Amino acid sequence: MLKVENIKKSFGDNQVLQGVDIEVNKGDIVVILGPSGSGKTTLLRCLNFLEKADQGTMTFDDINTRLHGASKQVIAKVRKKTAFVFQNYNLFQNKTALQNVMEGLVIARKVPKAEAKERAKKALDKVGLADRYDYYPSQLSGGQQQRVGIARAIAVNPDVLIFDEPTSALDPELIGEVLAVMKKLANEGATMIIVTHEMTFAQEVASKVVFMDGGVIVEQGSAKQIFTAPKEERTAQFLRRVLKDYDYVI
Amino acid sequence: MNLDLQFMAETFIDVLHGIPVTFQIVIVTLLVSAPLGFLMTVTKLGDGRIGRRAAAAYVSFVRGTPVVLQILFLYSLLPTLLNYLIKEVCGLSYNIFTVNPILYAYVVFILNTTAVLSEVFRSALLTVNKGQMEAALSIGMNRFQAYVRIIIPQALTAALPNICNTTVNLLKSTSLAFMMTVKDVTAIAKIDASFGYNYLEAYLVIFFIYILLCSLVQGVFHLTERAAAAYKKPASVRNARRVFS
Ligand SMILES: Nc1ncnc2c1ncn2[C@@H]1O[C@H](COP(=O)(O)OP(=O)(O)OP(=O)(O)O)[C@@H](O)[C@H]1O
Ligand SMILES: [Mg+2]
Repeated sequence: MLKVENIKKSFGDNQVLQGVDIEVNKGDIVVILGPSGSGKTTLLRCLNFLEKADQGTMTFDDINTRLHGASKQVIAKVRKKTAFVFQNYNLFQNKTALQNVMEGLVIARKVPKAEAKERAKKALDKVGLADRYDYYPSQLSGGQQQRVGIARAIAVNPDVLIFDEPTSALDPELIGEVLAVMKKLANEGATMIIVTHEMTFAQEVASKVVFMDGGVIVEQGSAKQIFTAPKEERTAQFLRRVLKDYDYVI
Repeated sequence: MNLDLQFMAETFIDVLHGIPVTFQIVIVTLLVSAPLGFLMTVTKLGDGRIGRRAAAAYVSFVRGTPVVLQILFLYSLLPTLLNYLIKEVCGLSYNIFTVNPILYAYVVFILNTTAVLSEVFRSALLTVNKGQMEAALSIGMNRFQAYVRIIIPQALTAALPNICNTTVNLLKSTSLAFMMTVKDVTAIAKIDASFGYNYLEAYLVIFFIYILLCSLVQGVFHLTERAAAAYKKPASVRNARRVFS
């Protein structure tokens, strides 16, 4: 469904992505792991053209494009097939939870207002916020805000959901509620690309685990293979370190 | 020291007739300066190097010179210059010296207020974190839609206190319009006073008038701010803390 090849991206002299390939099929849950600064966020942002890659090609269903110099129309098309959940939620502060979710439907996709409202409510119900429609982001806890972020993303029926460390800005006691929602989506067959440091969660949901370091993919495979029998020493080292450091949440 | 109360009462009534002129200057200036100031903000935040430099130079020129001096300068330059253009260049016989002097007041105050507002808007736009722009793009909105629906409403809310200040400052500086023979509050008071040399009384009266007008403006802004910032008001802590189970 989505295939991206040879993504390269530099910030000045800093070559952050040095030729990354990634393939996602319908229903896949791709979990990307890697140490801080390895280029995970940059990779996700390039998929959605929030960052312009220097090189690389993308095949996304019927779309075929270079990442560098893609036309506005192609960018708009790709963005309508994907949705992004941000580490810092990035909710629209001047809109209620319901309006946050409706915005992408009414404004970007021209869905009639009444229909958009129904769909937005459904999305909020799904993330457990049926009683928070009219709350502004400033009136919600971090976990609730992130669930609004997820509702905003799923409401537009994207082909691929992209998550960039959706729980790392949350207090530990709020992480569980967000991971539970993501698990539910995974079980319903959503296609997701997830960057996370929640190792237990990763093991449970991933259909494919990708380990990145220094702007390249060091190794990828099934969750079982990567976690129990990594081929590369760098992967093993990373896993030893994080499994020691991180608390289990689920 | 005896104040001529009878005179003060009469002046007060007289001066009330100047309030529409004062407000007219304020409102026309704001209506023209707001879009111009916004354009200048966009230029400042944009990629064009020349535009950025020009905008910065303009702002530092306008803000670095006294308004009184700008008035004196423009009021001696503009009519002569326009007269020259009309008579010599266009060959028309229109007498520029009969034009309503309020137009010159508009020019001076618009030049100033545009510069001030461009700074106000710039800092307000920067208070809205760019993550919200990215979120808007990521759900398929375009930049224009994101600005209009998400960024600018929040920036305006953030800018309201500064816009209020700008308006109050503008209102106060309209009292300089008398230098261009505009019949505003100050001009009327001065004229009234000149007959019997009751300047002190006349100035006391308009002190009071300006305080009133400024308070009125601040009151209106205060209400607007409260309404606009509704989304910032946190609900009770208990509500905010209740977590989904
Ligand atoms: N806008 C930018 N300008 C300059 N350098 C950047 C920018 N964004 C990222 N970088 C650099 O790119 C490198 C990779 O950053 P990236 O955010 O992709 O890493 P990451 O794997 O997501 O790390 P983390 O786990 O800390 O989120 C870092 O060295 C970072 O400093
Ligand atoms: Mg990151």
